[in-house]
Amino acid sequence: MSDSIARDCVRTGVHAGTWQDAIRLAAAPLVERGSIEGSYVERMIESVNELGPYIVLMPGFALAHAAPGEDVHVSDLSVALLDEGVSFGSDNDPVRVVMCLACVDRESHIARLQTVAEKLLDDTFVERMVACGSDQELYELVNA
Amino acid sequence: MAVPKIQTVCGYGCGSSLMLRMNVEKIAKANGYEVEAFCGDVGTCCGNDCDVIFISKELGERIEGRAKVPVVEFDNFMNKAEVEEKTLAYLESFGK
Repeated sequence: MSDSIARDCVRTGVHAGTWQDAIRLAAAPLVERGSIEGSYVERMIESVNELGPYIVLMPGFALAHAAPGEDVHVSDLSVALLDEGVSFGSDNDPVRVVMCLACVDRESHIARLQTVAEKLLDDTFVERMVACGSDQELYELVNA
Repeated sequence: MAVPKIQTVCGYGCGSSLMLRMNVEKIAKANGYEVEAFCGDVGTCCGNDCDVIFISKELGERIEGRAKVPVVEFDNFMNKAEVEEKTLAYLESFGK
């Protein structure tokens, strides 16, 4: 079985001054590997401006995403662990873990997201992600 | 017996609404209910055929007055206790 989140899409110790930066930094690996264009990153940010911070799904955790579009080439996921919490203006602030989801359509990414979502249903999972000390450790946790 | 058709809604119908849909399906199954759940986006959800709309509190305000079916709002899509309580409350009331 392939990884839910690829090794080079997992980053720890990421420093972001603002929630916008947090999304940009979390999404950077997806741009680097050509899964998305930079415009998708800006659409994820625009989406929070427009629809509010509901993407902060639970305390400390945000799932950034936007609508499928031509700027998404491959359905993909990335995750960043921030060294300091960032405020999204949500009741669930401060956010320490930002996951970015890109989808080419509404269906193709479902199996991978589902695997991750099942882990997130465990109340201790965000805590365990935050406790990770290295990229490798976080990678192993999210793909366990 | 009729199966309730639940539409879970987020901004685009492909991220957090999927998380909520999975949660709802899991809870329904664990409690012996059959449901038909699907994802929708906040822009078009009011036009989709369903028995109920499950949506986040922030987005719920946007469809107020437009939805033709009951709307259940959630503070936290991934909070097991909240999702379970509201899902079961709806399922128990369905068809009564």
